[in-house]
Amino acid sequence: MSRTRTWKSKLRPADVLDAGLYGVGGRTGRSTLTAIGIAIGIAAIVAVFGISASSRADLLAQIDALGTNLLVVEAGNTLFGEESKLPIDSPAMVRRINPVLDATGVSLLRAEVQRNEYDTTPNGLSVLATETSLLDTIEGTLARGRFLDKDTSTLPTVVLGAIAAQRLGITDLTGTPTIVIDGERFAVIGILDPLTLHPDLDRSVLIGETAATEYLGFELYPTRIYARTSPQHVDDVTRVLGRTVNPGAPNEIEVSRPSDALEARAAVDQGLQRLLVGLGLVALTVGGVGVANVMVISVLERRSEIGLRRALGATRRHIGLQFIVEAATLTTIGGLTGITIGATITYLYAQRQGWTVSVPANIIAAAVATALLLGLVAGLYPAIRAATMNPADAVRPSG
Amino acid sequence: MILTPALELDGVSRHYPGSPPVRALDDVSLSILAGELTAIVGPSGSGKSTLMNVIGTLDRPTGGEVRIDGAATTTLTDAGLAGLRAARIGFVFQQFHLLEGASVVDNVAAGLLYRGVARRERRKLSTAALERVGLGHRLRHRPPQLSGGERQRVAIARAIVGEPAIILADEPTGNLDTATSASIMDLLTRLHTEGATILVITHEASIAARCHRQITMRDGHVIADAANTLEKTTA
Repeated sequence: MSRTRTWKSKLRPADVLDAGLYGVGGRTGRSTLTAIGIAIGIAAIVAVFGISASSRADLLAQIDALGTNLLVVEAGNTLFGEESKLPIDSPAMVRRINPVLDATGVSLLRAEVQRNEYDTTPNGLSVLATETSLLDTIEGTLARGRFLDKDTSTLPTVVLGAIAAQRLGITDLTGTPTIVIDGERFAVIGILDPLTLHPDLDRSVLIGETAATEYLGFELYPTRIYARTSPQHVDDVTRVLGRTVNPGAPNEIEVSRPSDALEARAAVDQGLQRLLVGLGLVALTVGGVGVANVMVISVLERRSEIGLRRALGATRRHIGLQFIVEAATLTTIGGLTGITIGATITYLYAQRQGWTVSVPANIIAAAVATALLLGLVAGLYPAIRAATMNPADAVRPSG
Repeated sequence: MILTPALELDGVSRHYPGSPPVRALDDVSLSILAGELTAIVGPSGSGKSTLMNVIGTLDRPTGGEVRIDGAATTTLTDAGLAGLRAARIGFVFQQFHLLEGASVVDNVAAGLLYRGVARRERRKLSTAALERVGLGHRLRHRPPQLSGGERQRVAIARAIVGEPAIILADEPTGNLDTATSASIMDLLTRLHTEGATILVITHEASIAARCHRQITMRDGHVIADAANTLEKTTA
């Protein structure tokens, strides 16, 4: 008489979610209160990381604006105190270092510069022969005219630093003003804007390398190299520059770098951050316990709903899953609210400090994951209680 | 066809341990054929609620065999029983047991929820079932907006939506006034004539009299099993 026929309960994934949301939607007030604990914890953590990231981003922007990634290589003194020169091909060697984005060599010339042939007042200006890439390497800008290019660097032309232009009394380029270097006339084709990081260049007159040899008869040796590196590799590049430029005598090479700025970059207060994150975690734990508590009560109150669902064919697993999803939904709502609050706090604080706002994506992802995980953990015990409820007891009229 | 048993109980007992142990059901055997409208009647404490739970596979007997639509249940796992309930049994409870937060159409659709039927299809079948019980105009309402009689109609629609082998109605009129009770019985009678197998559990003789067969329980035993030929001719 009996057939070996079986039927299987099935609950579609979309319906699992639906069943989980049923309990949340039905008790909006309670759900909100439950989610608040989680929201506070998440908000605290997101705000702490957001504010410190914004502050850090701001610091980095400030430091980067100063040019942390610009290194200056100079010939130091020999062991005997003589001024040493850099090898003739050293700018090219520096350019060959992988993280070096751009490098330019300049040669200091022992030359005198004057407004005209009759001018004899000392002006403290120096003359530098430079490669045409200098302006890009130091990220300088022109107040007037243009910089040396491959044509003008072979002609008797100069570009003046801001102070040099002032001292020579050249304020604009109308009528092609000229100056005199070691008795030779040079046409001024450009004037630089002031360079905060390079006051020495402000006091310089720049001429092309070919022009320096051709018109002034100098034999050129680079005396200084400006090298711009990718910001992450400043330290690495600093370490290898000496050996690259002068493998025979690396100690004769002086590499200067904005070490003060780098120290500031590393100095982010970690103590306070840890304390605040710790407080956030305490809030989260308390919030999680709150969710578990409310869910246990909810399971008791919804005895008949559980019984009904079992009668309709829900397996224990389906019931357990429903309550897990419900708990996870509560904590996720709390988490998302917390992220919004935390991001808002970060925004307002950064705004007041005049920083650019930065809430790292991995912090948001971690906050969502934490909230979700908390829900799964907090929902486990209530879910087990709901799942193991005797269906016959659960459908019985209460009382 | 007419002789296919929708439900068979073979020497079913349900004893609760204690001192003295309670023999809520003691060696009950009965068979209900497909298409029957049967009442299990008895005073409270007679064991009929236990019988309802055992038939509905919400509770397991301590002895004997329950077969639903030919399938033995004692060997089934808890998940297997859940699957059997989802596919073959429709429940109607005295307390209605509706989901207060869901619309009428979704309450009835919940009858197909654990069968893995897609939502669109569930709602379609739900609407048809609600039309069968005369509530086609109440689809978007929520249970608290309905009268007791209407709520029980929703519950009945939920029980029939999956076309189960048997509908178990546990005191379906227990919370309703006389006139509403009569209309609910009218509905069950009509569903029976449309082919449903219905088992009504009641302590009211007047309700039992509306069914075609009355199985009388007392102290965990079946003491009478009578066909009501008079009712059958009037139906």
